[in-house]
Amino acid sequence: MNTVLSRANSLFAFSLSVMAALTFGCFITTAFKDRSVPVDIHVSKVMIKNVDDFTGPRERSDLGFVTFDISANLQPIFDWNVKELFLYLTAEYSTKSNALNQVVLWDRIILRGDNTKLNLKDVKSKYFFFDDGNGLRANKNITLTLSWNVVPNAGILPLVMGSGHKSLAFPESYETAKSY
Amino acid sequence: MFSAFKSIPTDMDYKGQKLAEQIFQGVILVSAVIGFIYGLFVQQFGWTVYIMLAGFTVSCFLTLPPWPMYRRNPLKWQPAVPEASGENRDKPQESQKKKKHK
Repeated sequence: MNTVLSRANSLFAFSLSVMAALTFGCFITTAFKDRSVPVDIHVSKVMIKNVDDFTGPRERSDLGFVTFDISANLQPIFDWNVKELFLYLTAEYSTKSNALNQVVLWDRIILRGDNTKLNLKDVKSKYFFFDDGNGLRANKNITLTLSWNVVPNAGILPLVMGSGHKSLAFPESYETAKSY
Repeated sequence: MFSAFKSIPTDMDYKGQKLAEQIFQGVILVSAVIGFIYGLFVQQFGWTVYIMLAGFTVSCFLTLPPWPMYRRNPLKWQPAVPEASGENRDKPQESQKKKKHK
């Protein structure tokens, strides 16, 4: 510690160690928090088509179209250890060929500081709702749930499902091609 | 121009070094505790980091330059040996001793 450089070295190393301990403290204060909030989902329009799916092995697959409303208040989740939330809407159902299918229809990133009250109406799905085969037609029970991935400043990234889901049924017949 | 910088003494004595280490450790720990509590209160980790950086800057200012308070107990060197016939043997021993103390 006789020279300026060696004093600066020990000062900086000590500061970094203290900073690491503070980050661990930040993680510990929020590690065991429950990050689930109630979510309200409504479905306004449901339609189904049978189209060629070039990414799949068979000739024609079912393609579903769902228009929905989501409302949720995500403010309680944000604390000093949350950087952003990655929300995604999942449709879950079972068919004759597969016991469990899960398809992500829509997702969104909410950063810290953005508006945390979600009140979306008439949202169309972002991604195609293709089925692995023809299992969507006349399927009585398709469950829509909103989940999110919490991205922290320090610590693990939990996947949390919102409480509240919506079940819907697909119609019996396919929609014929409309003329515009 | 650099000879002017080199002539500024930057060393401290041992008691001064111990005092400097205690000062910077104390300042940084205190600012860390204050920063942690304030960040927890406003729920923003950015404030914790800013307060820590402020504490780091204050302790840099307090301990990096060699203030006179760190030089109050200088080492007491032995008086120089007067010139005698045994001087040639004494000289390399003295210079070795000085290197160890540094």
